[in-house]
Amino acid sequence: MDFEELIINMGPQHPSTHGVLFLQLKLDGEVVVDCQPHIGYLHRSIEKIAENRTLVQFVPFTDRLDYIASMNNNVGFCLAAEKLLGISAPPRAQYLRVIVAELNRVASHLLAIGTFAQDLGAYATPLFYALRDREKVVQIFDQLCGQRLTYDYVRVGGVSGDLPPGVDQLIRDFIAYERRMLAEYHDLLTGNVIFCARSRNIGVLSKEAAVNYGVTGTNLRASGVAWDVRKDEPYLVYDKFDFKVITGQKGDSWDRYDVRMREIEESLKIIEQALGGLPEGDPVAKVNKVFRLTGETYMRTENPRGELGFYLVGDGGPLPYRLKIRAPSFSNLSVLPYLVRGLNISDTVCVLGSLDIVMGEIDR
Amino acid sequence: MFTKINDMVSGFVSILKGLAVTGKNMFRKPVTIQYPFEKPAMTARFRGLVDLYPEKCIACSQCVKICPTAALALETTTNPQTKKRAAAVFTYNGELCCFCGLCQEVCPTAAMYMNKCYEVAYYAHDDLTKIDLLKADKYAHLAPPKVKEQKT
Repeated sequence: MDFEELIINMGPQHPSTHGVLFLQLKLDGEVVVDCQPHIGYLHRSIEKIAENRTLVQFVPFTDRLDYIASMNNNVGFCLAAEKLLGISAPPRAQYLRVIVAELNRVASHLLAIGTFAQDLGAYATPLFYALRDREKVVQIFDQLCGQRLTYDYVRVGGVSGDLPPGVDQLIRDFIAYERRMLAEYHDLLTGNVIFCARSRNIGVLSKEAAVNYGVTGTNLRASGVAWDVRKDEPYLVYDKFDFKVITGQKGDSWDRYDVRMREIEESLKIIEQALGGLPEGDPVAKVNKVFRLTGETYMRTENPRGELGFYLVGDGGPLPYRLKIRAPSFSNLSVLPYLVRGLNISDTVCVLGSLDIVMGEIDR
Repeated sequence: MFTKINDMVSGFVSILKGLAVTGKNMFRKPVTIQYPFEKPAMTARFRGLVDLYPEKCIACSQCVKICPTAALALETTTNPQTKKRAAAVFTYNGELCCFCGLCQEVCPTAAMYMNKCYEVAYYAHDDLTKIDLLKADKYAHLAPPKVKEQKT
């Protein structure tokens, strides 16, 4: 009998591709021989739009890059803009930025864990629990800035508003609540034999391969490389807080899940410390300023998905000459063909879910 | 043989643990609300559709300049006697709006604000693209039927 390789299209509209990602799989029976991701379905030319907007006007667009972690994008872009202009935000604004960035990291990791469990066949239950907890963060942000998804809270030179009364207590309640819930997640997923069997030793990413492919963030740390921009190149006030860089051992899908779970705890610790040491003062930025942009700068921050970089060039006018965005998901997706060769189709879904990509920032 | 039995037992225990978590949730309060019939109260800073107090507006057009998506269009007239500028035509395109809230922040007289309206379904494009901000009942055609409000 004659066996042929079969090419199937997975996506662009597929429940497990986390957005409009189109994977072309070359199959030998059930085994994936080759995988080619096709991207660009969500392209909105945000980098080009940046050339026609002032820095203040561009901040709402950064919400639309990685829409799961908009706050972290706001922070990254505003830090790049401030670095180019040579200004810095007031101390209270810096603390507030840390708090919102870490809250959003918790929300993002929760969603990543929930969708990962759903990709493995734990139909809806863990995802709904994760969404329930994420909702608490979203409601805090709703009180803080008035939106639930596209926050536009962080501004060049500060933030858009101080903490409203009662919100700091809400955040403290959330920290206590989330610590209780994490124990439940561990009962539900970490100890589950089926979950372990499906994710252990699947998609093993070695240290060298991870570095060579430019993988960053939780995926890199799961492979055992202790690289965290918050620790190794501290921005904002991260050097004042006590937190650990979580690393995995093997770099398989299970490690990537585990690193995210433990990073939530570290983020909660950072939020607690930042709330405790919140300095007095006015964090609100004056928005209506026309800046003259000269020179060039590159600023990288730690997104929930990895290293988010903004390369900003000015030519003396109020508009940037060029903005290049280094999206962490793009590099994290590029390692997928390397990981899935020789795996089954169902394991491809597992690896893709564990990489935690967001198409919004890959296509930009 | 022993490892197989061991696996079966530990697997059974882990599934029971997971079921216990699910069982606990049966006795918790529901976190969802029956949306079209019950509605959550909007927060104080909620950013809905752009709205205007026409009597406060001094037609400085700062909001038009800062709008990242050019959703606002303003034409001004000058009163020949008092030399004061006033808005003649002020239209708002709700389809272009990205709800960033920059316009209400730059407004020097707090004439521009964002209301609590989040239900922006409409039948014709003109219902949302050509909103006359100077009119008093500009959003009357978008208002949903009244239902009871619920606090969360």
